[in-house]
Amino acid sequence: MNPCDPDSISRRRILQSALGFSGLALNGIMASEKHFPPDGKPHFEPKAKRVIWLFMRGGVSHMESFDPKPELNKYAGKSIGETPYKEVLDPKKIRKLRIPIKGDGNGHTRTKIFPLQTGFKKYGQSGIEVSDWFPHIGSCVDDIAFIRSMWTSDNNHGAQLQFHSGRHFLDPRVPTIGAWINYGLGSLSDSLPQFINIGPRFFDKKDAHYLGPAYDAVHLKIDPENPLDYAKPQNGMTREAQLRNLNFTNKLNRLSADQYPLDPVIEARMKSYELAFRMQTAIPETLDFSKESNETRKLYGLDQKETKAFGQQLLAARRLSERGVRFIQIMHGDGAAGAWDHHSGLKKGHAKLSQQVDLPTAGLLKDLKQRGLLKDTIVVFATEFGRTPGSQGADGRDHHSFGFSIWMAGGGIKGGVVHGATDELGYHAVEYPHYVTDVHATINHLMGIDPRRLEVPGHKRLDQDFGHVIKDILI
Amino acid sequence: MKSFRVSILGSLLFFHGFTYANGEKANSYLQDIKPVLKERCFACHGALKQKGKLRLDTVAAMEDGDVLGEDGELLARIVSKDTDEHMPPEGEPLHEHEIAAIKRWLADGAPAPPDEKPEADPKSHWAFQHIERPPGLSVGKDNPIDVYLASRHKAGKLVPQPVAERTILIRRLYLDLIGLPPTPDQLASKEPINTIIDDLLASPRYGERWGRHWMDIWRYSDWYGLGNEVRDSQKHLWRWRDWIVNSLNENKGYDQMIREMLAGDEIAPSDPKVIAATGFLARSYFKFNRTTWLDNTIEHTSKAFMGLTMNCAKCHDHKYDPIDHVDYYKFRAIFEPYQVRVDAVPGQLDLEKDGLARVYDGNLEAATYLHKRGEESKADKRRMIRPGPPSVLSAMWSPPKSIDLPKEAWHPDSRSFVQEAVLAKAWDKVTAAEAHLAKLKLKPASKKKELPLETQNKPIQEVAGTDQILVDNFSKSRPDLWELVGEDWRYQGGLLSLTKPSIDSSFLRSKKQHPEDFEVELRFRTTGGDRWKSVGVRFDVDESGNNSHWVYTSVGGNKVHLAHTVEGKDQYTNGMVSRPIKLNQEYTLNLKVRGSLINVALDGNFLFAFNLPRRNPGAIQLLAYDAIADFYRIEVRPLPAEVVLKEAREKAKLLAAKEVVTQEVIELAEAKLRVAQAGYAFKMAQVEADQTSDGNAIEMARRKQLEASLAQAKVDHLDPKKAAKAGKMIAKFEADLKAENLPEFQPISVSKVSLIKTPNKNALPSPGSYPKTSSGRRTALANWLTHRDHPLTARVAVNHLWLRHFGSPLVESVEDFGLRAPKPLHQDLLDFLAVELIESGWDMKHLHRLMVSSEAWQRSSSNRGADHATLASDPENREFWRMNSRRMESQVVRDSLLHLAGTLDLKQGGPPVMPSPDAKRRSLYFFHSRDGRSKFLETFDDADVFVCYRRSESIVPQQALAMMNSKTAAEAARKIAASFGKDLDNEKFIKAVFFKILGRKAYESELAESLTFLKQSLNREHFVHALINLNDFFVIR
Repeated sequence: MNPCDPDSISRRRILQSALGFSGLALNGIMASEKHFPPDGKPHFEPKAKRVIWLFMRGGVSHMESFDPKPELNKYAGKSIGETPYKEVLDPKKIRKLRIPIKGDGNGHTRTKIFPLQTGFKKYGQSGIEVSDWFPHIGSCVDDIAFIRSMWTSDNNHGAQLQFHSGRHFLDPRVPTIGAWINYGLGSLSDSLPQFINIGPRFFDKKDAHYLGPAYDAVHLKIDPENPLDYAKPQNGMTREAQLRNLNFTNKLNRLSADQYPLDPVIEARMKSYELAFRMQTAIPETLDFSKESNETRKLYGLDQKETKAFGQQLLAARRLSERGVRFIQIMHGDGAAGAWDHHSGLKKGHAKLSQQVDLPTAGLLKDLKQRGLLKDTIVVFATEFGRTPGSQGADGRDHHSFGFSIWMAGGGIKGGVVHGATDELGYHAVEYPHYVTDVHATINHLMGIDPRRLEVPGHKRLDQDFGHVIKDILI
Repeated sequence: MKSFRVSILGSLLFFHGFTYANGEKANSYLQDIKPVLKERCFACHGALKQKGKLRLDTVAAMEDGDVLGEDGELLARIVSKDTDEHMPPEGEPLHEHEIAAIKRWLADGAPAPPDEKPEADPKSHWAFQHIERPPGLSVGKDNPIDVYLASRHKAGKLVPQPVAERTILIRRLYLDLIGLPPTPDQLASKEPINTIIDDLLASPRYGERWGRHWMDIWRYSDWYGLGNEVRDSQKHLWRWRDWIVNSLNENKGYDQMIREMLAGDEIAPSDPKVIAATGFLARSYFKFNRTTWLDNTIEHTSKAFMGLTMNCAKCHDHKYDPIDHVDYYKFRAIFEPYQVRVDAVPGQLDLEKDGLARVYDGNLEAATYLHKRGEESKADKRRMIRPGPPSVLSAMWSPPKSIDLPKEAWHPDSRSFVQEAVLAKAWDKVTAAEAHLAKLKLKPASKKKELPLETQNKPIQEVAGTDQILVDNFSKSRPDLWELVGEDWRYQGGLLSLTKPSIDSSFLRSKKQHPEDFEVELRFRTTGGDRWKSVGVRFDVDESGNNSHWVYTSVGGNKVHLAHTVEGKDQYTNGMVSRPIKLNQEYTLNLKVRGSLINVALDGNFLFAFNLPRRNPGAIQLLAYDAIADFYRIEVRPLPAEVVLKEAREKAKLLAAKEVVTQEVIELAEAKLRVAQAGYAFKMAQVEADQTSDGNAIEMARRKQLEASLAQAKVDHLDPKKAAKAGKMIAKFEADLKAENLPEFQPISVSKVSLIKTPNKNALPSPGSYPKTSSGRRTALANWLTHRDHPLTARVAVNHLWLRHFGSPLVESVEDFGLRAPKPLHQDLLDFLAVELIESGWDMKHLHRLMVSSEAWQRSSSNRGADHATLASDPENREFWRMNSRRMESQVVRDSLLHLAGTLDLKQGGPPVMPSPDAKRRSLYFFHSRDGRSKFLETFDDADVFVCYRRSESIVPQQALAMMNSKTAAEAARKIAASFGKDLDNEKFIKAVFFKILGRKAYESELAESLTFLKQSLNREHFVHALINLNDFFVIR
């Protein structure tokens, strides 16, 4: 929660882990600290090296994506009480929600069954059913593990934050999974940050909290004109001039080190300038797609208006992965609540948004696979909650936190499997229910991290924060 | 598998039993067992508490408790599966290997180490002891800080570093005391250092610099919310910030500051300047949950003022400190009655625009109950908890005494400036109604509406030849492009939102005319509104705003429609297509206009063509009628000649602008005038009643209120839709008047129970009738905290001061002085400073002076030339044998850049400034809230909005990028370079820049490098830019 807390953030940790800095005599300033940061090595043999985290903001309907429920068509228009499944409304079954925004018009029980707004069919060897809005992801099912039994406890969009940090909106802010990976593992690149966020953020603009700002995501816009804050000089300085300046400042800094011997800050400052200077070119280089073949561009949908924006982000993700970025977090769906939030007009809205993401996402999986990257890259496709089996208004669905779907693919994860299930209406996660932190636990496990060994004194984590590894989907 | 594990365990046991000598077994108790018991059991079975009369902190105590032995209760309880029996009762069971070690130790007969001492009594904790002046430390000829440290240096054979070079010292003083670097003249000053210190402490800049420190500790945050809804903190909280700055500049006692922040409304109920201090408590406001709100208040009041982690006792007794579960709720009871409200300030009755956010006791009857396991739903209503401090510190507590409040406190709107303003407003309505009526009687036509003054008669610029394209993606305010009218526009999240519906009175009007033949494309989303929810574009808007054409989409009307406004009157045309327009859906509206022909398209689909009756050159205007909406982008460009428009069927027609003023219209205006007059009479009577509380006056006010209602009903009667109902109301009001059946008296009411929805608003008094007493609980708290015998308050405060002067605190955990904080190495120094604070009348400038005038503070911060033995024995500088280098806080980095560039605006106080590279005010005046902060400041570890007892000092590449590439840095480099004459030769230039930016001379080696650089680069601006990127610039040496 608190980067200012002296227990949680120390200069030494930032120096060491953000900059791979260790050789100097550090004793001058901070030897009194008891807590040592992780050494950046995995705790055990990892199965994966990096994560591409795709997050659909607003709440994707699980029934119309990866958990088709034909019973909704059968009982369309009926109230849930009139179906054989009326026990789903049993108050005891309705898991205790913590309501952050009382009296909101959304986040209610919706009892009138709303039929599926699209069809679905079986795909691949595994015959897993996927809705007609995601045909391209459908074509990849044999590489994917679907988890159809997620649940969360926030009935409003604070659940976005909850999905990343494991904590409810009303709780104090704690680090997100990306920040933990960034904190726990060493860097694979000296020209790029370890942890990158692309696309619109949720309510919480920070990731690292008490781990300190060094572990926050660096925000990238996939806009070749301006991919990074402060990435281009405002005074027209050429790169050559900049390099001359950098060399000059470092020379002066080194001279200052004669005046201030044993001051570790000087060396750290110089290294931060070197990384910054490299980022200025490394990031634009990474985002320069001109050398990508036409086939690749098509694979990501760069040739189509609808898919171009997301496709560019995913192609950037692949290129960042290749260059050593550990955790790439891509948010899809603009607006305060997130675009996937179809309280009305679900058919049109979901059809449009799924068209934006389906082809590029499948393209990413195929591209990673053909380049041999999928075997050590975890791809996650998630959303904060599902949508109600019942209708809201004439043609929408409300927020639904009792059961929803996500999927994972890649390093150490089985393909062509479905894990967990909701009941016939898609109401409750009834088989192997998983709280959101189980996804974090699974990622930590595959990345070789024991999160309990990363705990920071003064910031006790709860058992629920650690979650449980979803073993059934592991190879 | 299972049997395998058992056999391993068995062999381990055997192995240990076989090899370890007795002493080592006791060792294993100390190494493997006691730490486990300490972590898991001592909280209930140790010095803090002895549940079941059992202590587990020594083997002897365990023997006394009779729990040892292989079949004793200790082992039985930790392995029990019975949830009632099982120990520890909370958390995970002990690990298998821990249980195995205990078994082993018990099997060995529970050997005890020699001389085992029980845990110390928590009451004997160093920080809970009375603060005494350490012998030999008094202010005299020698600075006691130096006297103290010198004796330690002598004893430890440490050789301190000499005092820093004078200019380094002056730079250090300026940055430390006022947060701005000295100018070259100031650096060259010949004044004695003590005079410079006095001058800096007397500077108004001091309060800004140190105010920002205390804003960190006291969690200053501007409001956060959604649209206009406040969810966190309060609007206008800057008045508290100004109070902090002013209090420091006036050198108000720290004790008095605490009293004013916690209980300003009780100790000075008539003084808004003092009440502003209660912003400290208003800041904890949280819309959604009262317990979360009070939890924040409790946690941060106790951490900030006395370094106690009360928050750890919310769910159960504190695990380390002698604070039990009930203590937490006793502390909560102190705050239970308090609520937040906003009072009017002179000159502004609209509390959205300005006001005083403050606290008051709104719920005098509210009871406090213990929440079992910290769960609000499990309040133990059998026992009401009385307010009080933690028992361990209760000696100096005096029970609260209820306080009678003066009238201006419980009826803030009875203050004359409010009443005068209310009357003036009512009178304005009368004169407006009179003028309107007079105009109707004179003129045939009436204007639809008066434009806000600022847009009246502002000439719209002529179209410039090359600049015919207007493109705005609304990512930020563009005053160069638009005249923005209305208060409810927000640039947020890369778009422009209109947050409150209005009848077309909030709009954006282009400053330039659009081309005659043009195309406009608007991308937007209607997000809500009242009935019509219409959003679209006006064009041909003339200077008065009374003539234009407009095309809009209407959610309420399910259509896209073309209309004209002629002399202020709207004329709706047949240019219309019906189609559902949805809320929250993005649309692109496209208009193509050539001569009198217009084509309208939505989302690329042609809708209709229409002939415009009359064209005038004019501006483009964003339109929202009854609607709130998000605007993403607009583009206006000349219509290329090759674009073919579809022809319209209908010919143009325009209704006459003239309007016959009918008798009905005159009647309505007259009736409205009577409403305004009756309203004014009512306000007059209200004021009279408020002032005198006289029975007759009150009765008069009640009568006037009824008359005002009657006048309004008569207006409604003229509206055919309301006529029936209004008729009945008229009859009723007239009957009531006759029968003297008057309504309840209403006092004047401007103040709001905050701009907030409070979590328990039902229990709150309505504005105008706030409680006439206050519980006095917060005054009691403040008096207790500032009592001479309170062992924590002064110690915690001087530790914060020391940390911010010396770069490392005397007590490492600045917000936790509880049992986890070991006795500090320099407790005598800490206690001396604390006594000095108290005995000087809590004079903070006295403490600043004491610290910065010490040799300890003035020493060089370098290890260079340090005595080898000293460096080897105390490399961490725990004995302050040299000064510590510190990085400037984010605010100081930015303020320094602007100050060196000569662009810093030193205006003091007032509403927060939105962060921007173009803003020139000091950084502490930047808007600083949960989701509105300065990107530049954040890069350099800005204060966390929620909690920041200590800033972090990170070194990350983003900082380098910001300094290399930001506008702020580039502009500073340019301005600084330009401030030196071109006639200076390179060497003189270099020397002068070094002196200005780093506050010191360039070393010979630096001079040589710099000359080489300038020879290659030939660019002085780049040279300056390099210097502000030096580590030595960021660091206070």
